[in-house]
Amino acid sequence: MSVSRHWSRRTVVAATLALTTAAALVAFGAASSSATTKASSARPANKIVVLAYGDAQNKAEQWAVDTYNKTPQGKKVKAVLQTIPGANYQTKLQTIIGSSNAPDVFFNWGGGSIVQFQKAGLLLPLNGFMKADPKLKSSFLPSILSAAKIGSNYYGIPMRGTQPVMLFYNKTLLAAHHLTPPTTWAQLLSDVAALKNAGVQVPIALGGADQWPTLMWFEYAYDRVAGPSLVTDALNGKSSVWKTPDSTKALGYLKQLIDAGAFGPSKSWDSVYFTKNQTAQMLIGGQAAFELMGSWYYSTVQSQSASFAAKELGYSAFPSIPGGKGNLNDLAGNTENYYSVLKNTRYPQAVAAFLKVMYSPAFVKQELALGNLTTTTNTPKLISGPTAPYLRYQFNLIKKAQAFQLSWDQAWPQTNSNAIHTAVADYFDNPDSNAFASAMAALKPAG
Amino acid sequence: MTALAVRGGRKKSSGGLQIGRPSFLWSLPALLYFVVCALVPLGVVIWLSFTSWNALGSPAWVGTDNWTSLFHDATLIHSFKVTAILTGLGILTQTPVSLLLGVWAAGHERNRAILSALYFIPLLMSATAISIVWLSLLNPYYGLPRELHWLFDNSLLGHGYLFSYTGTAIGVLTFVGMWQWTPFHTLIYQGGARAIPEVLYQAAAIDGAGRVRQFFSITLPQLRNTIITSVVLILVGSFTTFDSILILTAGRPGVSTTSTSYYMYVNGFEKFQFGNASVIGVLLVVVTTLISLIVVRVSGWDKMRSTQEGV
Repeated sequence: MSVSRHWSRRTVVAATLALTTAAALVAFGAASSSATTKASSARPANKIVVLAYGDAQNKAEQWAVDTYNKTPQGKKVKAVLQTIPGANYQTKLQTIIGSSNAPDVFFNWGGGSIVQFQKAGLLLPLNGFMKADPKLKSSFLPSILSAAKIGSNYYGIPMRGTQPVMLFYNKTLLAAHHLTPPTTWAQLLSDVAALKNAGVQVPIALGGADQWPTLMWFEYAYDRVAGPSLVTDALNGKSSVWKTPDSTKALGYLKQLIDAGAFGPSKSWDSVYFTKNQTAQMLIGGQAAFELMGSWYYSTVQSQSASFAAKELGYSAFPSIPGGKGNLNDLAGNTENYYSVLKNTRYPQAVAAFLKVMYSPAFVKQELALGNLTTTTNTPKLISGPTAPYLRYQFNLIKKAQAFQLSWDQAWPQTNSNAIHTAVADYFDNPDSNAFASAMAALKPAG
Repeated sequence: MTALAVRGGRKKSSGGLQIGRPSFLWSLPALLYFVVCALVPLGVVIWLSFTSWNALGSPAWVGTDNWTSLFHDATLIHSFKVTAILTGLGILTQTPVSLLLGVWAAGHERNRAILSALYFIPLLMSATAISIVWLSLLNPYYGLPRELHWLFDNSLLGHGYLFSYTGTAIGVLTFVGMWQWTPFHTLIYQGGARAIPEVLYQAAAIDGAGRVRQFFSITLPQLRNTIITSVVLILVGSFTTFDSILILTAGRPGVSTTSTSYYMYVNGFEKFQFGNASVIGVLLVVVTTLISLIVVRVSGWDKMRSTQEGV
């Protein structure tokens, strides 16, 4: 009798231990309460919360909040900046946006990053604000504003800078081997071959362990071969485009590069991260000559070696593919970052006043000093300082661009990111165009 | 020792001292904590596993859809295999090393105290920090594989591209897990070994037993309960290991290091399918509980038999 009682007590202790560990682990799934839309009157009084992606660039966002708080409107309703650091931004935003802790104004990437919120009825169309203050519309480049437009409504005001993806290179290394940055695909292949012969282990650095840097190669290859319409069609639900000859052709070009050992031995890229500054170190150390990356690469390299960024870091547009339908000037990347507004914000007038700061010359200067290429119409007049050549180069790229392909993982609703990343990583490890086409065809567009 | 004697005595004489059993009230704080922090969330998660929810709006009831679709999910089944492999390797590597180190560290010499204090440093570091450090150290282009290329440049170690192949990626996780957790288990074994009465060794020495003989005939049997405790902790710990996988391999290459707990994260926070993630969460609770019960049952830990009866 007592044995069985002891058995059960001991067992309960052990079971409790196991259960607590496991249950605590699953508990976070239930952490946020059921997300019903709360009435605006239930929101905090005399305060608007501004939520931003937490990184070194928050200086400018804090400046904007401080500036707004000095205005008459800001003295009545104070703005408070909150940040969520690093890669978890979208995840945490999605977790709080349906709750009573939702921010009034929040940072996002436009496109697919907000479409679910819009569909859930959480976003305020900004057309009304723009009517009351026409400058809120006319101060920004129209193509950039339209990347945060859903249907006929605008949902985002640009607040950082545009981030085109460019081909960066180590000037010294290319010069040492008498090479120039490639303008055509054939030249890219011959540069790769020349570098390999000269003993450069990895002609093109690729942070394959992060997966999204691999995606950039697809964005450009598809644009150059098929033009921007293929992806637009796919985003509109036409999944058959992934099986067209153009699609297969674009994949074929990538396979050429992979087979040529441009990114190092097969699968070697899966051991390398961009996010841990590993690829930047490879470029600085001369182990790699090229890297395809967004415009933020400049500041990434700068954080590792300021003198390399200033003197040895070269940048050029992605090469053209002869016979392709895409334009040499087309760009891919992140169009902009935007502030979107919560529909049931308690103080829409205060929010409107805060958004005015985004096009003020003083704020634009703050952003430019951080190396961000703002998308206001007055930007070219305001560029100055040590980053000016780099910013002007980008501005010209964008002016010439006929199409700007938003990163696929942001153009599709967030729920597809994982599938997109897996598809591109799998293709690089094992170039099978059928498998890639099927994976992409299975994505769920917003419509 | 006193406590043990009292407990032993109580077991035999039911009438004597009424020291033991505190009233039910004493367990109230623990019980409250358990209900609020474990049972309630568990209930919510079970409910969520029957819904479709992307963290926006309200969860929609979908019946057993999540359950049926996940039972046909090849990745989920694969993830249990990965978890079993990682757990098995964890036990196989951590137990012998920490057992030997713990027994060694149990000695009272000063050099042992200093060395073990140094050795316990990883215990103070967060799992995240440890994983980030090893990620940099194992980088193929400027980490250890480059510096020690005579060691790494063979197909067994993926020519230094440790995160690119299934075998080496699992090897990295096992190694970092060992580096991180061995100190903790060493500490448990050190405590266990120090509790072994000196008289046993003295008696054995008189009988002419050498060091090795003493280790196998006295230390090991005396540490039986310690070993079970440590193994159960590794078991449950490995089943729920998540942070080091997230940072070191992110479940890759492919899904070859996607453990069940990491797959739960992928479903919840990358695909925003909290219904599916909850199914996996519930499965994990059931499996870890069952395994702990089996271990406790098979090992006889529940019989409350002291290793020091008769000493």
